Formats: sequence, structure tokens, C-alpha cells
Amino acid sequence: MEEMIKTVDLHKSFGELHVLKGVNQTIHKGEVVSVIGPSGGGKSTFLRCLNLLEKPEKGKIYFEGEEITGNLTDEEKKAIKAGTMPKLPKVNIDIHRQKMGMVFQHFNVFPHLSVAENVTMAPTLLKKKSKDEATELAKELLNRVGLLDKYDDMPSNLSGGQKQRLAIVRALAMEPDVMLFDEPTSALDPEMVGEVLEVIKGLVETGMTCVIVTHEMAFAREVSNRVLFMAEGNILEENIPDELFGHPTHPRLQDFLAKVL
Amino acid sequence: MNFELFIPNIVKIWTNYWRLFLIDGLSVTIKFTFIAVLFGVLLGTVVAMLKMSRFKLVRFLIGVYVEVIRGTPILLQLYVFYFALPQIFTFVKLSQTTWVAIALSMNSSAYVSEVIRSGIQAVDKGQTEAARSLGLSSGQTMIKVVLPQAVRNILPALGNEFIMMLKETSLASTFYLGDLMTQYRIVNAATYLGFETLVIIGIIYLCITFPLSKLVGLLEKKMSGEKSYKKHSKKPDFRERKFGKV
Repeated sequence: MEEMIKTVDLHKSFGELHVLKGVNQTIHKGEVVSVIGPSGGGKSTFLRCLNLLEKPEKGKIYFEGEEITGNLTDEEKKAIKAGTMPKLPKVNIDIHRQKMGMVFQHFNVFPHLSVAENVTMAPTLLKKKSKDEATELAKELLNRVGLLDKYDDMPSNLSGGQKQRLAIVRALAMEPDVMLFDEPTSALDPEMVGEVLEVIKGLVETGMTCVIVTHEMAFAREVSNRVLFMAEGNILEENIPDELFGHPTHPRLQDFLAKVL
Repeated sequence: MNFELFIPNIVKIWTNYWRLFLIDGLSVTIKFTFIAVLFGVLLGTVVAMLKMSRFKLVRFLIGVYVEVIRGTPILLQLYVFYFALPQIFTFVKLSQTTWVAIALSMNSSAYVSEVIRSGIQAVDKGQTEAARSLGLSSGQTMIKVVLPQAVRNILPALGNEFIMMLKETSLASTFYLGDLMTQYRIVNAATYLGFETLVIIGIIYLCITFPLSKLVGLLEKKMSGEKSYKKHSKKPDFRERKFGKV
């Protein structure tokens, strides 16, 4: 299978707090990977590192084969100093981010733009699409998530679930190769969780590569090809969902599942 | 003081000197205010941007500038610009009024820069993250996402700055520069009716600041909360509004 995202020895600290302690992980094209684990275990930070919303101090991230952090290993630093290796060109992360959609816990829809403009702004601004093409795509995507009748509304008129569906559409309008979900249902009223999960499920069925940080265990089990259990700054266990939930081996995971299930 | 004569005195001063107050004094006060706030906003925008610069030294220097201006009395600053600087920079030929206008503008710029900076920083960080995650550059994010939202925090605060500055221009009277407060000194010297004159001047100030502060309050209300964002549709031209669609 083709590699979509690969992380090598990823380290991230916030001040004294060492949040990621050398994460190695490969996400393949077409895969749906859920990340579960206790709060503070590094799930969200890991996800946010993938599109460099957090910059890891150490380690590398390859997106579709290209290294995007600009971080160098100690050997590479020595080699460049010795002149045996050319300096690497600066990475333009904006280009890569255009191919990585991200959905946030708190939606972060743009309140000053209408529903339609939320969706069309990035594709037209970044010259990916003409105004007409972007509008066309926006209508199609909004229709797919049941928001077409809100096309001209302002986001303040939307419920939480609708806002999150809009946020998903906004990301999809850039036609990304991978979608990153950062606890997409954690800030929602319980009765709105279902509609958002349905949309994600629909997206998975189209074959989109997804990385989903979630507390919805049943959903993770149902929708993913693979589940990662993150705690204490690393991936402690990973497996296909039935195995991971059915036969957890790491004591930390057994303990976690006993508490949440 | 003779209270029986209070009202007649006020009437007398007003009929004799209203031109001095309304035409001479008020126009100078408003001129000073406009110039100070206009250049304060222009300079303040630059200061605010430099304050968010990626260079530590620039941030430090701008920090010093802002702290010095905000941490010293405006009257002291006026003295510096009125007495000290013209003696140091003798080759700079500026009128006294201009020196004071510069002092007021610089004072305003420090406050305005803080208004702009805090207005920008008050925009939810998630907005920036969402924009960047779509692939917008930091410049595009600022222009398309952050500033349109920050303006709603900044505009009402600028209204308040205007009101503050209007009152602070009264310090220009220290140098007899013809503003409203200077007119008080002139009329007082001519009539010895200080209290009555002060009452008149105070009412004139209030007549401007009170409606303005009400306006700012209204603006604040109109611009607060997510619900306040309206779909900006094309305004129909006046013929359509008058006669219906043509």
C-alpha cells in the first residue's frame, strides 16, 4: 500500500512537558485510522503535528513521500557542516496543508463569512478553482451533508452539528488527500453527535484516507481499519479494531478500556 | 460668589463670547483631536504590526516606546515636544501648534497600537488554525480571516480613543494654542467670571462627548457576538429603494 503519512521518531514538548516521545507511525493511502487514549496522552498533539499546526522539535514527517518538517537528524547536521550533503530547500508547508483537510473540536467555522463563502474562500483564494467551479463544488458538498438549504445563511444560524458538518465540507472543498479529525464530536450536544459521525462515515465510504482522534469508542471500532492507543506520549498498542478492543494486551490499554467501556 | 447673578452671568458670557467658544475654540479642539487620532491610528497600526514582528529587537524597542508613552503623563510629553525638542532640533522649523500636534499623535499611537494588538489577539486562535490548515499563508489568514473579525473589537475602542483625545487636547491650553480651554483662560481674564465660563465650556465638551460615547456604546452592541455578522448583500441603488426594482 502507498504511504500517505509517515512519522519517524517524532518529539514534541510544551516547555517542560514532553508530550510526544518519539512516535513512529505510517498511515497508508485509503486507510482509516482512529486514535484513542486518555486525555493528555498526546493524541491531539500527534494529529496537529501531522500538518504542522504544532511544530515537532525532533523527528521527521513524510507526507506523500516528501519531508515537511525541515528537521534534520544529527548525522544530517554533521554532513551539512562537513559539506558532504547539500542544504535542504525550505519547505512550503502551505502547499502541503492544502492537501490535508483538518476538522477541529470547536469547528472554527468563519463567523464573518456565509456558509457558502466558508466553503469557497480557500479554493478560490488559493487559485485551485474558479469562482464558478468552487460554487458548484460547494453546492454539491453541502448537499451531500444536508446543508444546501443553509447555503446563504451565516454560521451563527447553525446548530453545533451543522457547524461541524460545514467545517468538514470546508476542508473537503480543497479536495484533500487525507482528512485529519481532532475530536470532531467532543464539543457537540449528545443529540448532534450522530449526524456528524454519519457524515464522517459517508466520507470513509468514498475511500478517503482519514486519521480520527476520538473518544467515541463504538464509532472507532466500526469505522476504522486500524486503531492506535496513545498514552504517555507514544503509541502503546495498535491493531485492527476487533483485536484492540477485544483482546487488549498492554496493561495501560486494558485499564483505559475498563474505564471507558 | 453671587448665585443670583449666576444665570444672568452665563447668559452674558455666552452672548458676548459664544464665537470665541464655538468658532475659535471648538474648531481648534476638534482639529487637534482629528489630527491626533488620524495620525495616531496610522502610526499606531505600524506600531502594532512592529510589536508583533518576528524580530526580538524590534519588539523590544516598540515595547519601550509604548511603555514610555503610556507610563508618563501626557502633559510631560507635551512639555518635551513644546520646550525641549525644538531646542535640540533647532534646524527643524515647525510651529508650536505642530509640535503639540505631533506630541498628541504619538501619544495616541501608543494607545491605538494596544487597541489594535489586543483586538487582533482577541480573535479566537482556532480561526487562525482553521485558515492555516486550509493552506492559507499567514498573510492571507490575517487579511481574510483575522482582521475582518478584529475590526469589530477595534472600531468601538477607537471611538473611545477619539473621546479621550478630545478631552486631552485641553492640555494644549497650557501653551495658549487656542483650543476650548484656552478660550476659558481668555474669557476668565477679561470677565473674572471663572466658574460661569467653566460651566459653559464643560457643557460644550459634554455636548460632544456624551452623544459620541452613546454612539460608541451602540456600535459596541452592534458589533458584539457571532449573531452580529450579517450577510453583506449588494445594496440596491437608490432608485430601486425608492421605486422598487427597475
